[in-house]
Amino acid sequence: MTPGYETGPTSDRQTSGLGFVGQRVKRVEDERFLIGKGNFVADLTPDGVHHAAFLRSPFAHARILSIDVTAAAALPGVTRVFTAAELNALTNPIPPFFMADGVYTPLYSCMSEDKVRHMGDPVALVLAESRYVAEDALELIEVDYEDLQPTATIDQGLDTSREQLWELADGNVLADTSFEFGDVDKTFADADRIITRTFECPRQTNQPMETRGCIVLVDPDSGHLELHNTSQAPHFLKWAIAALLVNDGAVRNLSTFLRNKERRKAFSSASKEFLKTNIDKLKSSDPAGQKAQLSKDKSMLRHQARMAMGLLAAEDYPTVKAGDIGGAFGSKGSVAREDIAVAAAAKATGLSVKWIEDRVENLLDGGQAREERFTVSMAVDEDGTFRGLKVDAVLDQGAYPAFPISGVATLLFWKVYMPGPYDFGAFQLNGKIVATNKGKVVPYRGPWANETFMRERMIDVVAAELGMDPGELRAKNVLREETMPAALLTGPTLDETMSVAKTLDHALSLIDNDQLARDKAAARERGHRLGLGIASYHEAAPGPPNFFESIQPGSDMFLYEDGRAEIQADGRIVMYTSQSPHGQSHQTTYKQVAADEFGVSMDDVEIVWGDTDRTQFSFLGTGGSRGGPLGAGVMRVTARELRRQVAAVAADMIEASPDDIEIVDGNIHVAGVPSRGIGYRAVAAKVARETGIADGPVFAESMKYEGVGNGGWSTATHVAWVDIDLETGMVEIPRYLVVEDCGPIINPGIVDGQVRGGVAQGIGAVFYERHHYDDDANLQSGTYMDYLIPTSMEIPDIEIEHLETLTAGENDARGVGEGGMIGAPAALTNAVSDALGVQVLEQYLPPHRLLELAGVIER
Amino acid sequence: MKNPPFNYHRPATLTEALDLLAAHGDDAKVLAGGQSLLPVMALRLGRPDHVVDIAAIDELKHIATASGALSLGAMVRHAQAETSPMVAEHAPVVAAALPHVGHRAIRNRGTVVGSIAHADAAAEMPAVCLTLGATLHLASATGTREIAAADFFLGFFTTAALPEELVTSVTFPPWSATSGGAVVEISRRHGDYAMCGLACAIDVADGVIESAALSFFGVASTPIRVAEAEAIVVGQRPSPALFAQAAEVVADVLSPDSDIHATANHRRQIAAVLTRRGLAQSADQIGIPV
Amino acid sequence: MNLPSIRAAIGETISVTTTINGASRRFDVEPRRSLADVIRDEAGLTGTHLGCEHGVCGACTVLLDGEPVRSCLMLAVQADGTEITTIEGLANADGSLHPIQQGMYDAMSFQCAFCSPGFLMSAVALLRDNPNPSTNEIREELSGNLCRCTGYQSIVEGVETAVRIMGAQQ
Repeated sequence: MTPGYETGPTSDRQTSGLGFVGQRVKRVEDERFLIGKGNFVADLTPDGVHHAAFLRSPFAHARILSIDVTAAAALPGVTRVFTAAELNALTNPIPPFFMADGVYTPLYSCMSEDKVRHMGDPVALVLAESRYVAEDALELIEVDYEDLQPTATIDQGLDTSREQLWELADGNVLADTSFEFGDVDKTFADADRIITRTFECPRQTNQPMETRGCIVLVDPDSGHLELHNTSQAPHFLKWAIAALLVNDGAVRNLSTFLRNKERRKAFSSASKEFLKTNIDKLKSSDPAGQKAQLSKDKSMLRHQARMAMGLLAAEDYPTVKAGDIGGAFGSKGSVAREDIAVAAAAKATGLSVKWIEDRVENLLDGGQAREERFTVSMAVDEDGTFRGLKVDAVLDQGAYPAFPISGVATLLFWKVYMPGPYDFGAFQLNGKIVATNKGKVVPYRGPWANETFMRERMIDVVAAELGMDPGELRAKNVLREETMPAALLTGPTLDETMSVAKTLDHALSLIDNDQLARDKAAARERGHRLGLGIASYHEAAPGPPNFFESIQPGSDMFLYEDGRAEIQADGRIVMYTSQSPHGQSHQTTYKQVAADEFGVSMDDVEIVWGDTDRTQFSFLGTGGSRGGPLGAGVMRVTARELRRQVAAVAADMIEASPDDIEIVDGNIHVAGVPSRGIGYRAVAAKVARETGIADGPVFAESMKYEGVGNGGWSTATHVAWVDIDLETGMVEIPRYLVVEDCGPIINPGIVDGQVRGGVAQGIGAVFYERHHYDDDANLQSGTYMDYLIPTSMEIPDIEIEHLETLTAGENDARGVGEGGMIGAPAALTNAVSDALGVQVLEQYLPPHRLLELAGVIER
Repeated sequence: MKNPPFNYHRPATLTEALDLLAAHGDDAKVLAGGQSLLPVMALRLGRPDHVVDIAAIDELKHIATASGALSLGAMVRHAQAETSPMVAEHAPVVAAALPHVGHRAIRNRGTVVGSIAHADAAAEMPAVCLTLGATLHLASATGTREIAAADFFLGFFTTAALPEELVTSVTFPPWSATSGGAVVEISRRHGDYAMCGLACAIDVADGVIESAALSFFGVASTPIRVAEAEAIVVGQRPSPALFAQAAEVVADVLSPDSDIHATANHRRQIAAVLTRRGLAQSADQIGIPV
Repeated sequence: MNLPSIRAAIGETISVTTTINGASRRFDVEPRRSLADVIRDEAGLTGTHLGCEHGVCGACTVLLDGEPVRSCLMLAVQADGTEITTIEGLANADGSLHPIQQGMYDAMSFQCAFCSPGFLMSAVALLRDNPNPSTNEIREELSGNLCRCTGYQSIVEGVETAVRIMGAQQ
């Protein structure tokens, strides 16, 4: 736009030349965001919508003796007040989803009617003409609580003498599991040394800038529910809401279903299809998890039957629409209890309802993470050879297990990830989950990330004990392509994408040790201490085909990615993704991929997402670093198939062989003869004329995609330089380097942003952010004055080096969204340890703690 | 997080405002910039029946000097004071404090007097008042009175102002060319309330410190002067050793609380460091490098 | 500005007149309603976002008589007689982007962009008062706005890009 200023490629460029993939194409999303025309859920206020607000427990653990909503219901402007009991009667309890041997998952309802288990637990719901009036009404509800002993910490959670959150659990321990690979006893007996440390990771919270929110519209004629929601997984939400709102008995629904011949037929053929596709996975599923659950509580069977029969009998299911979402970092993948309550209230009243979570609610229970403890023993030889690893891990899940991905999933990920990219001969994990009176733990960007913190921190401890350089110790033990085994000790297969060694070697080559020594001396002169820390990791993004088999047999049943491509009669190319982007720029990258496959401009392609009526089922939606490898993969293959169909018709029209056809700038022609080509829109128009389709797809293709080749790992090495003022404990990060390998990059501007954002959250985790509960489980960091998200003054520029290891796969991009957050806490705490000459055993290091570790102040 | 309902008043004159405060007293809150009051109301931690918005009252908008003393009316916003040459000249310690107050968007609305009247013990402006010996001017329907800053701050968010009184202005005494001062603080993030901060000033004649004021914020229920440390430096020539000695005394005398952002020991440590840094900056300002 | 005395009892509304993005608007609002809510719900300008509603995240920042303010920390009645600019008011009438929008676009500054209205408005005020800020000045000025996605580097680059665009335009 401006003379002398190069703006770089944008989406309206044509695709001649190099194509879009690999280029730093400007974001299509920004065309609406930067002018204030985003489509966030709070932006929608349909006429006549009623505003919801939840009354939440001010106590961590208490019995509810009585609740009186009379005054609230009488307040002018209030439409309706629901008590917990009323809403629970309209809904089914949330059943366990992830089950595993040694695990019990308590069932719970959308509201809390008998007892509250954390500050913020919802006990009543008000619908009113405005959120203002709804909040006025909350103040008029009277609840009598009787205090119960709160459980605030991991230690208290393990103490079986304390008041239980869940009656059927063993004390407050919900999971007690053990996994072993290799001969652990022998390996530990044979090793020269065994070094043991305990690492503590305090609680954090995801904190996207947009809170959660749900609008439920009720069709006055049909009663159909349309949910507008901030969901990372709209399809899962749709079916969860459909099932949880079933409120007829199983027998009655079964008979309705059996009377409906068409439904019966459809169900029978769909289930046959499902069985055919998934028979191996179903057979491999281990029933131990279900057995463990049923040994504690059989009620799941009754509720499942009721919900299943209800789904079979239903004539109509809710629609879920997710528009623009203001970040999530894992916190919007769970089905919110509030979503269920709001939908039930809307259904019961026939009124449309809007609930926008406020920040205080979000800090109370919008998603928390990472409070874990690890006691690690590493068996090593004097020469630095890693032999074995034993970890006792405890995860503090808070009061309610998130649905569907609870803490159990983290245990299973740890089981596979913990030995990391190193050559250990044996590994044992004993993993526990405790319930505490705190907000619920949800997946948070790299949900298993603390395994990297504890392992990479432990490697530096071992290096110090052996008198070795931490970088050299890693280099000695990291899996290298030349000597790589066929599979990790914990199961998943390995290939050239396990490139941690390459990232480590490259990172080490970018460290100037002489300069470091000079900088350390200069810092000392100023009364500061400077240190350097390294951390390496790998993550399955999406991982080899047997990755989820290693996590839990059969767990990948729903982890394929669906996609659909169409050319409409009017010539628009429409791509349907089951992803639910919330900042990852799918619209841009998927247009890049599809435009290149078709040979058109990005602006010729429309991406449809987030609407369950228009996209295919996806269990996860957007999460798990899948948007690049699988989401873009299915865009690529469906676009390619559609191009083949169009080329075949066009070839016929221009009397050429389909094999000779190429498409450039939307012009379909024989290679080398563009002047005798035909526009793809003209082809679409011709088909439209011939078929009589005036409005709708004239070409269409739906495909499933599970990744191609041997899957893939995403890898990286982070190096942090940390400078600590020994007078004040204030920290600066003079340099931060990431060497990463997520395969070929679709859009470097977007990949860099993902890496930097992840590192920023890791910096927050170590130096600023702690979701702090006191000894009575009262939340202390309940506002943004006390939960400290770092600002532009605290986050430095991040240097990034890309390695882009290629494989034979056709869509070789590997996930990159989570890695920044996985590597940073380890690199930073290693740097602090180096700076202060101590071995840091905790992840959260506020200034006072740094000064304590440095011996400047007493604890 | 929506404000509770209240009766709203926007008086056009001071007399009207004072009548309203006389009528509603304890049930009323004064709204100036709103940067402290409105979050409290949005969180429903405060629920005044009456809100008296003083933004329309012209008598409260002055930045003026009389005999070298600077006076700021109750509606002078932080940003106005921050960019005022008069403030920079007559009360450089006030000017030094202002950039530390929140962020620009907050300073564009919040008022200097509002911050003083709110009496957050972790805020800069109350400590500055203490150090400079400021005077608060209060008015009610029955008359006016003046209170010295030293007598104004009584506890957490508690001042000597009565419910029916309005703090109409603050006056800072004349600043001398032989005075140096500084506001230094350490906060978790840029723009946060300080874990500990110091507003200090010294007056030097013939190379000797004639008077000193050290007021700390974020370490007690009110801003707090440390007379023991002031006594150490008065009568002495500025030097690193002297300031270090004062710092030790500060660390001994203060007994701050621990909270989730800093421990008591950390606050004492920071207070000592700030004592050295603040005094050195003050001396430097009058051409005595330390 | 001389405003008359007004009062409104609980439940009563007050008439507020403002100019928003150049257009004069009148709203009858309860005094307790925040400026942010009135901009979003009454004026229908939903480009201004609410991230925390207690004045920390900065997503609700608008320009009030040219200066950035938190619209969540203002009552709408306090904006009576003022001029307000929101993110919707930045682009030119012909649809061409304001340099700060263009700079952020070119630098690929944002991801989820929920915070973007606040950053844009803060940056507009910064560059008006300081057309050639240092990187540190940009970082300091933007430190009143929280972003959870980007790590800020790309946003700082967006402002620096806007500086170059504005320089080239002169």
